[in-house]
Formats: sequence, structure tokens, C-alpha cells
Amino acid sequence: MDSSAWGLLIQGAWTTLWISGISIAIGVVMGLLIALLRVAKIPVLHQLLGVYISLARATPLVTLVLFIFLTAPTMGINLNRNVAGIIALTLNTTAFNAEIWRSAFNNFSKEQREAALAIGMTPWVYFRRIMLPQITITSLPGLVNEMSFLIKGSPAIAVIGVVDLTRVTNRISAVTYDPLPPILAAAVLYMLIISLLVWLQRLAERKASRLAV
Amino acid sequence: MPETAAVSIRNLSKSFDGTEVLRDVSLEVQPGEVVSILGSSGSGKSTLLRCINWLEQPDRGDIRIAGDRIGVSDSGKPMSRRELAGMRARLGMVFQGFNLWPHLSVLRNVTEAPIHVQGLSKTEADERAMALLEKVGMADKREQYPYTLSGGQKQRVAIARALAMQPKVMLFDEPTSALDPELVGEVLGVIKDLSKEGYTMVLVTHEMEFARAVSDQVVFLDKGIIIEKSHPSEFFENPKTDRVRRFLELEAPAV
Ligand SMILES: Nc1ncnc2c1ncn2[C@@H]1O[C@H](COP(=O)(O)OP(=O)(O)OP(=O)(O)O)[C@@H](O)[C@H]1O
Ligand SMILES: [Mg+2]
Repeated sequence: MDSSAWGLLIQGAWTTLWISGISIAIGVVMGLLIALLRVAKIPVLHQLLGVYISLARATPLVTLVLFIFLTAPTMGINLNRNVAGIIALTLNTTAFNAEIWRSAFNNFSKEQREAALAIGMTPWVYFRRIMLPQITITSLPGLVNEMSFLIKGSPAIAVIGVVDLTRVTNRISAVTYDPLPPILAAAVLYMLIISLLVWLQRLAERKASRLAV
Repeated sequence: MPETAAVSIRNLSKSFDGTEVLRDVSLEVQPGEVVSILGSSGSGKSTLLRCINWLEQPDRGDIRIAGDRIGVSDSGKPMSRRELAGMRARLGMVFQGFNLWPHLSVLRNVTEAPIHVQGLSKTEADERAMALLEKVGMADKREQYPYTLSGGQKQRVAIARALAMQPKVMLFDEPTSALDPELVGEVLGVIKDLSKEGYTMVLVTHEMEFARAVSDQVVFLDKGIIIEKSHPSEFFENPKTDRVRRFLELEAPAV
């Protein structure tokens, strides 16, 4: 592989990284919000969110990507490929994250809540200062796991023409007629991205050890 | 005019799933007074204590803290979360299971509410917290996390945490029941010091000798009803009812 092939590869890796990164960032926060709304058990909304989560978790990413990209124009919305990809990845990862956050909520100790309310915290202060820091740490392994699933699933956005780290290997081998080197190189880059995540997770787990009661 | 009671409970009733756990309970705690609530398991002691700071909502009756009603605002509507939090800040509670926040160091457990509820600066809160940790003998452990502490140490930190809000009244729900016997003394010692300093306290306990030593008033709950309310010497030496006499024989044969 020559330097222009490497250049293309890095560009593809960058596309994978930023599209996944934005989806992950939105997905983690949206997942938290949806989990909060679900825990509040607001009648109709609760069921609607439940349906969304089941659907989003059951739908293959490729299907979701195509669905978003093809239905948006019929509703008069003009989506560029990247945005359609981000929306699809976000819808997918949000659903998984919402379940991770929700189980952390449900397992959180009632005692700590009572101590917080008894001392004069409003439920909001309690959530922000006591609950959120702890459930963030306990949810992190699950969230990071979901992040690496998303990154590994992200080649699905190639079906609508986004040139990501996987798709770019096609382009390179179309010129070089030697598909193996670019695919190996792409695999190494995926591994680098994932191991960065795992390293971040280790860091967080070290902090989490003190939560052991 | 008599002084305003620190806590005034009038005709309090509370049911869980149709079973009445507290029945028409009335009780006044004067400023500086220590009141012990005794009774066998399931008699409603914790529920009574938890109604005082509205962790449980009574079905009937009213509760006033230094004259102000908790849980129900002047208009008769349920208090907003903010109003309720303001009332609760005037009451310190110490739980059987300590309930420390595990993600915060000893010092930060104590400064958390002064900083984030009362709005104290970190410096002010640290100063106040260190004085209290000194008082409960935990100053040298300020940087440690709860999981490194013994039960007795945890409970002393929990007491300092509650005191840091400078509450008008301290509520203790069996503060030593979860402790190994050899650790009970250090916690009771702290509570005793507080009583000498004139803190107003309501204490649920199974430590009969201790209740006798620190209390100004002893209240006995039986199936949700206060069947005796008297001075400790009277209560322990001259109980008015057979129920209390039997209870004392079981709980404190030595007394
Ligand atoms: N949240 C609740 N839901 C249903 N029942 C409850 C609840 N809290 C307490 N009870 C019941 O109310 C009764 C009184 O409970 P409470 O905890 O006040 O007793 P207690 O005197 O503190 O007992 P102990 O000495 O065992 O702590 C018990 O029968 C208990 O099972
Ligand atoms: Mg109890």
C-alpha cells in the first residue's frame, strides 16, 4: 500500500470515528433522559418509549440506516448521508443505553436517597450530586461495551454511500487489486479505536472500586 | 406563654396497606430535651420517627418543627419539593445502616449538604466539617472513603454529617443496632456528648441503660399506640402498665 492508500484509509477511519463519536455522545445522554422518563412511569409516554426501545433493539442497523435514509425524503426532509447515518446509529445506541441506565437506576440504593432527602436535598440535587456520579461509574462497563458494539456495527452506514473505514478498503483494492493489506490495516485501526475505549473504561473502573460498600 | 416545642406531633395516624401502624400519636419534644422511643419490634417506632421528617407521610394529624408545619404548606396543599427540603434541613437524621454516600470521602460526606443545600463556600464548609469530625473523633480519617471504615466509625461520620446542617432536632433510628457489640460504646459516647451540649434529640433504641441515662422523657409504643410516656426513673422503676413491665423484663433484666 502506498501513501495515498494510507491517506484514504485514515480518512475512512476519521469518518467512522466522528460519525460514531457523535452518535455515542448523543446516545449516552439521550439514553439517560429516556431512562429517567421511563423510571418516572408517565402513563402514555412510558409505553411509547418501551415500544421504541423494543423496535430499535430488534432492528438490524443496516435496515435502520436504509429506513432513515429512504423515508426522510418522502416526508420532505432532505438528509445528507452523514446525517442519516448519525441519526440511525443514534437511534440504535440510545435504545441500548437507555436499558443500561435504567437497570442502574433500579439497582440504586434507597438508603442513600433517604439520607439525601433527610438532610434537605431536593430530588434534583440528590440526582445530580449523589445518584448520577455513582450510576455513571456503575453503568460505564455496559456503556463502553455498547460503544464498541456501535463502532463495530458502524459499517452499516456504507449502504447509503458513506465512505467509512470498511468501505474505503474497497476503494483502495479497486485500484491495487490486492484487498488483503487494506483490510488488515483497517482491522488494526478498529482495534486501536476499541482499545482506546477499553483503556478509558479501566481508568473509570479504578475509580469505581471505592463504591464497594 | 410556654416555649414553642421543638417537635410537636398531634393525633398522628398512619397505615400501611390497610394496617394501622400508628394510631392517634401525640408527643411534644421541648428544646434541649432528649426523648427515647421504646417498644418491641414492629410497634411503629421507625415509622413515627420517619413521619417527623416526612420520609413517611402520615394519613392524619400534624407535625410541627419549632412551630412550623412539615409536609403541608400554609395554604393546606402538600409542600413543594423545595419547601419540604427546607423543613427537612432543620432535622438531622441518623440511620441504623449509616447510609453514607460511598463515592465521597469522609470530609465530603460531611460538607456535601452544607455546600450544595445551604450554599456555604467550600472553605466555610470544610471548617465546620473539621470541627464536627474532631468532635466525633474522625478528623484523622477525613480523606478516607466509607468502605474503609468500621461500622462505629461510619456511624460517627453519619452523625457529623447530620450535625453539619446545624439542625434544630436530631433523630436517631437505632443508631447502634447494626454494630458489633464492641463498637456500640463509641457511638453512644458521641450521642451522650450531644445530649450534654443541649441538643434536642429523638432516639429510637434498644439500649435500655443508655435510654435511661440520657433521656428526659421515655415514650413506649405498643402496636402503634403510646401507652406510656414518663420520666426515665419512673418508666424503668415504676412502669404503669403490665405491658411495659414485661418488656423491661425481656429487654433489660438487670435494671
Ligand atoms: N414501607 C412500609 N410498607 C409496608 N409496611 C411497612 C412499611 N414500613 C413499616 N411497615 C410495617 O409497619 C409496622 C411498623 O414498622 P416499624 O418499622 O415502624 O417498626 P419498628 O418499631 O421500628 O420495629 P423494629 O424495632 O423492628 O425496627 C411493621 O409491621 C412493618 O412491617
Ligand atoms: Mg425500626
